[in-house]
Amino acid sequence: MARFKWVGLALLLLMGWSFVGDSAAETGLRIQIVGSTTVLPVVSHAAQQFMASSNTRILVNAGGSGVGIFSAAQGRADIGMASREISSNEKKRFKNSDLKTHSVGLDAVACMVSSEIYQSGVRLLTRAQIAKIYMGKITNWKEVGGPDKKIVVIDKEHHRGTRHVFMRYVFGNATQRTPGTILVTGSNNEEQTKIAQSDSAIGMLSFAWINEDVRAVIIQDQNGKFAPTLKAVQSGRYPIMRELSLITRGEPKGKIKAFIDFVKGPEGQKSVVENGYIPVGVETSKP
Amino acid sequence: MKLSYKKNFSNCFSGQAHLEPLAWIFALMNLIFVTGAMGLGVFLLVQSLPIMKAEGLDFWLGENWWVGETYGALSMIVGSLMVTALAVTLALPIALSAALYTSEYLSPSLRRGVKGVMELLAGVPGIIYGLLGISFLAVTVKESFNLLYGNTLFTAGCLLAIMILPTVLTLAEDALHAVPIEYREVAEGLGLSKLQTALRVVVPQASSGIVGAILLGIGKAMGETIAVLMVVGSLDRIPGWNLFVSGQTIPSKLGREAAEALGSGLHWSALMGLGLTLFFMVSILTYSGTRFTEWSRR
Repeated sequence: MARFKWVGLALLLLMGWSFVGDSAAETGLRIQIVGSTTVLPVVSHAAQQFMASSNTRILVNAGGSGVGIFSAAQGRADIGMASREISSNEKKRFKNSDLKTHSVGLDAVACMVSSEIYQSGVRLLTRAQIAKIYMGKITNWKEVGGPDKKIVVIDKEHHRGTRHVFMRYVFGNATQRTPGTILVTGSNNEEQTKIAQSDSAIGMLSFAWINEDVRAVIIQDQNGKFAPTLKAVQSGRYPIMRELSLITRGEPKGKIKAFIDFVKGPEGQKSVVENGYIPVGVETSKP
Repeated sequence: MKLSYKKNFSNCFSGQAHLEPLAWIFALMNLIFVTGAMGLGVFLLVQSLPIMKAEGLDFWLGENWWVGETYGALSMIVGSLMVTALAVTLALPIALSAALYTSEYLSPSLRRGVKGVMELLAGVPGIIYGLLGISFLAVTVKESFNLLYGNTLFTAGCLLAIMILPTVLTLAEDALHAVPIEYREVAEGLGLSKLQTALRVVVPQASSGIVGAILLGIGKAMGETIAVLMVVGSLDRIPGWNLFVSGQTIPSKLGREAAEALGSGLHWSALMGLGLTLFFMVSILTYSGTRFTEWSRR
C-alpha cells in the first residue's frame, strides 16, 4: 500500500510541476508570430539571426494571412504575418483592436502550371482564360493551346492571402467562388507539391515558389503582356502585386518593435531578397 | 451498469474506504473524467446552437459551405462515411484473418514479434502516415488507376485502411488469445481440427472483443484528421458513387478551417456543429455495435 501512496504523491507532484513549468516559461522574453506562409520564410530567417544576438525567443508558425490577422487582433500572437491587406470585413470585426500594419517587402503572385504543360507550349494565359478555367468553362488544356489533357484546377483555402490577391486580379473579387476547382490546398508548400505531382495542373503562387516542376506563365490582359520576372516586378508593371506585412495590435513596443525594425533593416531586407521578394524602399511606380 | 456504480459508491462511504485517503484521490480522478466527458458534449452542443438556429435541418441537408453565407455539411458527412466504409472494407478481411492466424497458429515467440510490430505501428502518429500518403500513396493511386490527380477519396480510404489495420489486428488478436486454452483442448479432444476449433469455438467466444476492435478501428478512421487532410483533396462536394475524385471529410474540414474561424461567430459555430455531428456519428455506431453483440449472443 505504501508503494501506491508514493505513486499517487509522485503523480500529484508531476501535475503541480507541469503548471509551474508553464508559468516560468511565460516570464521569459518570447515573441510569438503566426500567419502567412508567404511571409514565413523571411520572418523565420530573420528570427534566427535576431535570436543569435539577443536572449529573446521567437516562435514562428504558419496558418495563413487570415489566421495571422485574427491572431494579432485577438492577442493570441504578438505579431501576425499577412500577405494581403486587412479586408473591410476584418476591419469591421477587429475595429477595437487598433491593428497596425508594418510593410516589410513586396511580392508578386504568378499563375503557375505543371512543368509538363509549360514544356508542351503553354507559356501565356490571358486573364479571361484564367477566369474561365477557374469557373469551369475551360476544362481541357487544348482549348488554350496545350495538349489534350484535362486541367487540374488547384485553388487555395478561401482565407489565404495569395488567393485574395490572385482572385482580385482575375475576377475583381477577392472572395470569388470558383466552381471549376478540383483540389483545395493550404500552405504554399502544399500547393507547390500538388502542382509538381500533377502533370496538368494550374495554380497560384508567389514568385519565390517557382522551380523546375512548377512554372509561371506570362499573363496577358488589356494593358499588355507581363512576364513573371523580377525585372517586371521591379519596374512596377507586373499586375498581381501585394505588400508583405507584419501586423501588431497597437503600436509595437520593446522587443517586438526591435524585431520589426530588424526585419525592415538591412539584415532583414537581405533575407527578403534571398527569398525572392522585393525589399521595401525600392522605387516602384505601382505598389 | 448504473446501479452497480451506485452500489460501489455507497460502499465507498459506508465502509472503511473513506478513511483511506488514496480512495478519495481515486474518486476525484473519476469525477474529473466524468465531468470532462460530459463537459465535452455540452460544450459542443452549446457552441453549435447558433448554427442550428440559423440553418436548422439545412445544416445537415445543405450541400453548399460558403463561409459568411451558408453552411451545409452534407458533402463532408458523405465524404466521411465513404472514406470510413472503404477503409473498413479494405482493412477488415486482412486484420481479422491475420489476427486469427497470429493467435491460433503462430508459435509464442513469433506471435510476440508480430504483436510487437503491430503495437508499434498502432502508435505511429497520423502525420507520419500522412507523409507516406502524400509522397507515395497519392502518386501510386494516380499512376495505377491512370487518374488526373492522386488526391482522392480512394487514396484517403486506402491510407486509413493502412492506419487502422494494426489497431484492429492487435485488439482482435487479444480477444482471440484471451479465450481459455481449455476450450481448445476440449474441442480438439472431441475430434475437431485446428481450423474448426478456431472458427467454431474460439471466434464465437471472442466475438464481443472482436466487435470492439472493429468499432475502435471505425472510430479511429472516422476521426483521423491530418493524414486524411493531406491526401483527400479538400474540395467540398458530394462525390456521388465515384471514389476517384477529391472530396472532404468532417475532420479534414475542421483541420483546414478551425484556426481561421476561431471566435468568429457563425463560422466557428458551424465547425462546432460539424464536431457535434461527428460525435453523434461515432456514438451511434458504437451504441449499435454494442447492441448487435448483445443481440447476437442471445
